[in-house]
Amino acid sequence: MNYEVVIGIEIHCELKTKTKMFSGSPTSFNEPANTCVNEIDLAFPGTLPTVNKEAVRKGIMACAAFNLEIDTLLKFDRKNYYYSDLPKGFQITQQFHPLGKNGYVDIEVDGNTKRIGINRIHLEEDTAKQFHIDDETLIDFNRAGTPLIEIVSDPDMSSGSEASAYVETLRQTLLYIGVSDVKMEEGSMRCDVNISLNKPNEPYGTKVEIKNLNSISNVARAIDYEIKRQSEILDKGEKVISSTRRFDESSRTTIEMRRKEGGVDYKFFPDPNIVPIRLSDDWVKEIVNSLPELPSERKKRYKNDYGLNDNEINVYLGNRDLAELFEECMKYGDKARSISNWLITDVLAWLSKNNVEIKNSELKPKELVRMIELIEEKVISSTQGKDIVLDGIMKGELTEDIINEKGLKQVSDEGMLLEVINKVLDEQPQSIVDYANGKDRAVKFLMGQVMKKTRGQANPSLANKLIVEELAKRINK
Amino acid sequence: MEKIYKAFEKAKNDKCNAIVTLVEPKENLNKGKLSGEPIILKDNISTKGIRTTASSKILDNYYPIFDATVVEKIKAEGGVIIGKASMDELAMGGTNLAAYTGPVLNPWDYKRMSGGSSGGSAAAVASGIVSFAIGSDTGDSVRKPASFCGIVGVKPTYGRISRYGVVAYASSLDHVGYFTRNVKDASLMLEVLAGRDDKDMTSSFKEVKEYSKLLNSDVKGKKIAVFKNVIDSLDNENTLNLFNDLLNKLKEKGAIIEEVSFDNDLMRTLFPVYFIIANCEATSNHSNLDGLRFGVSEDGDDTREVVINSRTKGFGSLIRKRFVIGSFGLHEENQEKVFKKAQRIRRLIVEEVKKCLEEYDCLIAPASNDIAPLLEGNKIDELSDKYLIAENHMVIGNFTGYPSMTVPMGFEKGCPIGVNITCKAFDEENMFNIGLAIEESTGLKDLVAKVD
Amino acid sequence: MIEKEYIKELAHELMFDLSEEEVVEIQKEYETFSKQLELLEKIDTKDVKPMPYPFENETNYLREDVVTHVITQEDALRNASYSKEGHFVVHKVVK
Repeated sequence: MNYEVVIGIEIHCELKTKTKMFSGSPTSFNEPANTCVNEIDLAFPGTLPTVNKEAVRKGIMACAAFNLEIDTLLKFDRKNYYYSDLPKGFQITQQFHPLGKNGYVDIEVDGNTKRIGINRIHLEEDTAKQFHIDDETLIDFNRAGTPLIEIVSDPDMSSGSEASAYVETLRQTLLYIGVSDVKMEEGSMRCDVNISLNKPNEPYGTKVEIKNLNSISNVARAIDYEIKRQSEILDKGEKVISSTRRFDESSRTTIEMRRKEGGVDYKFFPDPNIVPIRLSDDWVKEIVNSLPELPSERKKRYKNDYGLNDNEINVYLGNRDLAELFEECMKYGDKARSISNWLITDVLAWLSKNNVEIKNSELKPKELVRMIELIEEKVISSTQGKDIVLDGIMKGELTEDIINEKGLKQVSDEGMLLEVINKVLDEQPQSIVDYANGKDRAVKFLMGQVMKKTRGQANPSLANKLIVEELAKRINK
Repeated sequence: MEKIYKAFEKAKNDKCNAIVTLVEPKENLNKGKLSGEPIILKDNISTKGIRTTASSKILDNYYPIFDATVVEKIKAEGGVIIGKASMDELAMGGTNLAAYTGPVLNPWDYKRMSGGSSGGSAAAVASGIVSFAIGSDTGDSVRKPASFCGIVGVKPTYGRISRYGVVAYASSLDHVGYFTRNVKDASLMLEVLAGRDDKDMTSSFKEVKEYSKLLNSDVKGKKIAVFKNVIDSLDNENTLNLFNDLLNKLKEKGAIIEEVSFDNDLMRTLFPVYFIIANCEATSNHSNLDGLRFGVSEDGDDTREVVINSRTKGFGSLIRKRFVIGSFGLHEENQEKVFKKAQRIRRLIVEEVKKCLEEYDCLIAPASNDIAPLLEGNKIDELSDKYLIAENHMVIGNFTGYPSMTVPMGFEKGCPIGVNITCKAFDEENMFNIGLAIEESTGLKDLVAKVD
Repeated sequence: MIEKEYIKELAHELMFDLSEEEVVEIQKEYETFSKQLELLEKIDTKDVKPMPYPFENETNYLREDVVTHVITQEDALRNASYSKEGHFVVHKVVK
């Protein structure tokens, strides 16, 4: 019996800011315990929250990227519950007035596009990190108060692949617009899945929440397993229990963590310490307009305008600086194919070999294109480009200078070449005999000699043609 | 520093059990409005390296690592802190009998209470230890003890004084306030404590005037609204006579005195609306007191039990009972009927007072029905108008956030009682002027109880 | 009347216990409290929005994303009953 699968996903992303959501202490990763905190993060008596402007800005960018309506009156509420990683005994969040509402994102699964609704995005703060070592709990508050956005989807997904496509699209976009570094394995992006099954056109079944999904593939695996598990239960006519389950990577199954007996009442109410904050329309517009082109749009444009293939486009979608460099080069020459090849292979290789980041490299886009033109005009060979010119232009030098300094001009002047070839033939009578006796290898030897004499500048195909012709003349004499 | 050491000696021999922690005076080289002045702080004000308990067992061993903004401001103006004063536990009381260090006695009559929850600070000023003491006022916790102790008690406009570092009770009602023995000192103290603080998002950007230099007790033509609902709920003849004498004197000075009445059903809700909002916010505000990062921690088999044991032993009975009411009011199924209902009525009350103060310069009424009650006095009927209105009307200052102060009005059986005035938002200049006029009319100024 | 069980449940949710007398006291005090609640019900609050702050005028202040205040690990742990390797520790009593 196949059931309708209803999946909704809640994603928490740590925002890339310098300080916490409600305090002026630094955000951090892997610092010594409790060294990136202040009295506010530890909820000492008398401390008060102050809202981080940059976190709001990045929250607005996320809302804009996924087409949400932005509420310019910022309000915060308290979610009251007790846990040792929650120092205040409540989390400051936005329950009643999320920053953004009613957005969507288009995902691609097996070639067709599907629109997934995004119900809301709101700002909130992270909890501390805890370590349970035998019978003790150790708590580090460095992460406490780190700005988060929570992205709540509509229950529009119905398979593991749709869910993972959704998470990947969100991940790639958030990375692309520089809002978060979205590292699922490091926890800067966390994903909780809510899934229920029901017989066709019957109301939604009991919801099960799956936590601890720390990679895109695990999202799909967990869902596929859960669909099987719940289907078997329903097939036997039993009821699925509303509970929270943990995805176990080794066994690729979901394991029950706790039953959900009735909703927990978080006693939400507006935080009296944060009066409503009016965002100016200009500021919001400025942020929305500052949004870089999204991966989805860029993909279409790169395909239509530049005819790049999917692999190349994926490289650019994963590396915004490289994409920006590519577009800069395109300004100097409509050679998408060759520019892209050089960038994706040689330039990236050079950068990683020399441990230089794209944004710090001195490469002038104009020079890369100039080099490509010279190769196409056969002024220099592509090997000369790879081995010699590239290194120079990566350090900011001009193509013309490198070629002149290194005397790289390919000699294509027949007269000059004939002179050199005949000199070589005079010096190598034995090769002529070998050639006459059918040893074609001789030609390669002669080519080597010509290249040496012309310091590699001889145009290889032209030189080859002339050598064979001169040999033929010598033999018939 | 001579005045300071004298005060420190007096503090050591305090007879009113007002002081929780004595603070060895440290010379303060800053020159300013409080140069050479010894200051006592209510014990819910964080003082770096100095024990701050908010009179709760759970904070008995708590040494803050930062100063509250008001402490920084006092030090910047040359003030020297010599002690932390007793208070009702977590400021959740109006009698100062619920202090972890025992009740604070009224300096005018040790058989009577000082009033709370800033009782220690009030007693310290009234018994002559210091001329300036800091308190906090969520329902009338500065203005009520000021009345019982015969001194000036000021609660400025909400947001005037930063709450950063002050242990929260109910954030939408809490104000930092203070005690002095005369109106001039009161006007000076606001210059020291007020001003925008970026660490408190509810802190006001409004300009802080030189109040002490702008004092002018000429009340000719000022319109004063007598709070009729309070007058009707009083039954103490002496209090009414003192109050009427005062009104006549003000009339002689040219003030226009008129009676104003608000909807009495609405006035009967003053106390329950306060009780609900305060308890709901307090139960959330004190969720951080769990013994895990600071404070007295009890043992337990797991984290949950450690927290339950710490909070059970760390909070007094009154506190835990009020937290239960607060949580009850915040629960989803009750919020509409309890918490939100109280918040809606708060808006109706605020709107009525706002309308009144658009026409009048201030609202005036006796601060309470009687002088300070006996420590072992019988309990007042909490459903009577006397309790609901006469004893709790000053909470209007906390609902509205409007500036309100109490000034001594007279004596009965050798014990003082005060009069309370409330002006419109940020109109402290007008409030101090009317306060000065009252002080000049009654001649009651710089009162110090003879402490044998 | 408010049930004893419900009172105990509310207390446990708030992470503390109540003695038997305290539960009985709450039941008694709840009588007065519920009468006071009746005073609230008399007031018509239709179309009146809850008032969570004394002054509702919006602010436009937002804190700049600049590190302004960090404390040392020593200060962070100064008031902790138990700490180990720079962490707060919830010490378990092994019976």
